Amino acid sequence: MDNHIVEVINVTREVAWLPWAVQYFFLIGLSVGGLLLSLPGYAFAREDWRALGRTALLVALTCGLAAPVALLSDLHQPGRFWHFYVVLRPTSWMWWGSIFIPLYITGLLVYGWACFREELQAHGRVDSRLAALYRLASLGGGRNDALIRAAGLFALAGALLVALYTGAEVAVVKARPLWHTLFLPVQFLMTALAGAAGLVLVLNRFAAGNDRAVEVRANRLLAGFLGGVMLVGGLWLALGLFGLDATHAEALGSVAGSEAWRVTAVWAVAATALPFAIAVAKPAGTGLLTGLIALHGAWMFRWTVFIGGQTVPKTGAGFYDYALPAGPEGLLGIVGTAGLWLFLLIALTAILPSPRRPAPAPARAAQAPAGTVAAAE
Amino acid sequence: MDRSRRNFCLGAGAATIGAAAGTAMPASAAPGGAALRRDGDPAHRWAMVVDVGKCVGCQACTVACIMENDVPENSFRTIVSTYEVTEQGKAGSYMLPRLCNHCEDPPCIPVCPTGATFQRRDGIVVVDNTVCVGCAYCVQACPYDARFINHETQTADKCTFCVHRVEAGLLPACVETCVGGARIFGDLNDPDSAVATLVRDENPKVLKPEQGTQPRVFYLGLDPRFQGKVDGTPTLWRPSNQAHAEKEHA
Repeated sequence: MDNHIVEVINVTREVAWLPWAVQYFFLIGLSVGGLLLSLPGYAFAREDWRALGRTALLVALTCGLAAPVALLSDLHQPGRFWHFYVVLRPTSWMWWGSIFIPLYITGLLVYGWACFREELQAHGRVDSRLAALYRLASLGGGRNDALIRAAGLFALAGALLVALYTGAEVAVVKARPLWHTLFLPVQFLMTALAGAAGLVLVLNRFAAGNDRAVEVRANRLLAGFLGGVMLVGGLWLALGLFGLDATHAEALGSVAGSEAWRVTAVWAVAATALPFAIAVAKPAGTGLLTGLIALHGAWMFRWTVFIGGQTVPKTGAGFYDYALPAGPEGLLGIVGTAGLWLFLLIALTAILPSPRRPAPAPARAAQAPAGTVAAAE
Repeated sequence: MDRSRRNFCLGAGAATIGAAAGTAMPASAAPGGAALRRDGDPAHRWAMVVDVGKCVGCQACTVACIMENDVPENSFRTIVSTYEVTEQGKAGSYMLPRLCNHCEDPPCIPVCPTGATFQRRDGIVVVDNTVCVGCAYCVQACPYDARFINHETQTADKCTFCVHRVEAGLLPACVETCVGGARIFGDLNDPDSAVATLVRDENPKVLKPEQGTQPRVFYLGLDPRFQGKVDGTPTLWRPSNQAHAEKEHA
């Protein structure tokens, strides 16, 4: 017989964590991923990782500085941010985040300065009107591997705490089965690493001299991270699909009936498998493509988790509608954050242009000595 | 029930009352930072019983709440969810008043990064909107979709059981206005109160008991199909997000 329920009147709860939050989680994830990728080349002084590490450091710094702005903008009362710092709220992962973020950003800035100190010193030796400023910025010193390592390890601790809190903050929300999974922090981290490798590939093409060795290495790393993303995603799906865990089954059940969610799932799989296959099959010459798809995947994952997750009613039937507003609470926020990131990238690469790569062997004698950098006119 | 036995049962507080409902715990033994409660009189534990069978879906409570609490347009502290239920080819209506459940273990409180949202010693969960940063973490944590961001104060907002009225000895506006007498408000710590009696004798249900939040809004005649997320065809009418956005930026 015909048995069904039609919801006639109910309340629509609008999205309360705005696209600003998506931008924050995206950027801070890229920053953490970028920091991790920079460590072998700088903190552990692996020269063969140095070029990749430099690009990764650009990722970490630019994204790390833009991210807190997005986070602050997601507060509906941003002027009250100081309220976080006048109370002790250890039960709230968000409160812990307010401690970890400045810790991480401070560590990142010190680490970035220590890593770039050698370049600052080199710029200070160039006959330029800015040379004195560079000398001042280098504090009269050059490369100091011990300092880089110490700062790197401090920033690493901060990065791990940020990765922990960003994942846990969302995963503890029992009210949303889609979020309430131990897989989520791992998925955030894996997609962040993939996104960071993707941004390294993109910046390598446009802002770091299009180094073929960096491209190949970053593509291989990307393939590994994307493999991890697929593995964790597959486990999450299996737990829900086979009813091995009630929360995962509930999470899957809450969206399985939606055509839009099914399309999103297929899209996500394609956005992960495609760059994985390309990066494995042809790591050279494909960096821009795989990088852009990986970046897209990392952003899309967060968009789906946050905006998509909030369109699943906790009590009502079906789904809440969501249309991206054009204003600051929507598109303008996304574009504005991207603009801030671009500004930071332009500023940083203007102050510290990519070092000249050594020329091929026969011409080596005619090139500048190793470690020399382009003048920053 | 003789008086002494009743006193024994209720003298231990809401624990016994709740045990009758299969969900409750005493305020003094409640998890979720009961020791951190402030304001309010601990002698009371305010609660509501909703008799679903008496609700006619007139939304008078919805309107009364809006008028009493100056709730912004397109936002609701309470609403009567209304469903058309077809069984064996016969259609009927089902009304379910929803509001903050003023849980004994409210998940909205521990996530709050500033302490703006807290539970009074009389059990009422409130938001200090002079402290709230509008992070909306509590909005996410509430399993009942009972919280929202008030776009006039840009802070978290929710039902307060009309705490300002209760403190003046009045009933919450929704209870005062309910034409069918479907909403019953009172003190669980008072064994002779209507809510304590109903909770003790009528075995009311709560929404989403599996969340472990121990709601203090109880339902008589609650259909299990409406106890959690409703599996049905989405609503035919919703407040327009677009209209809301236009108003926001007008």
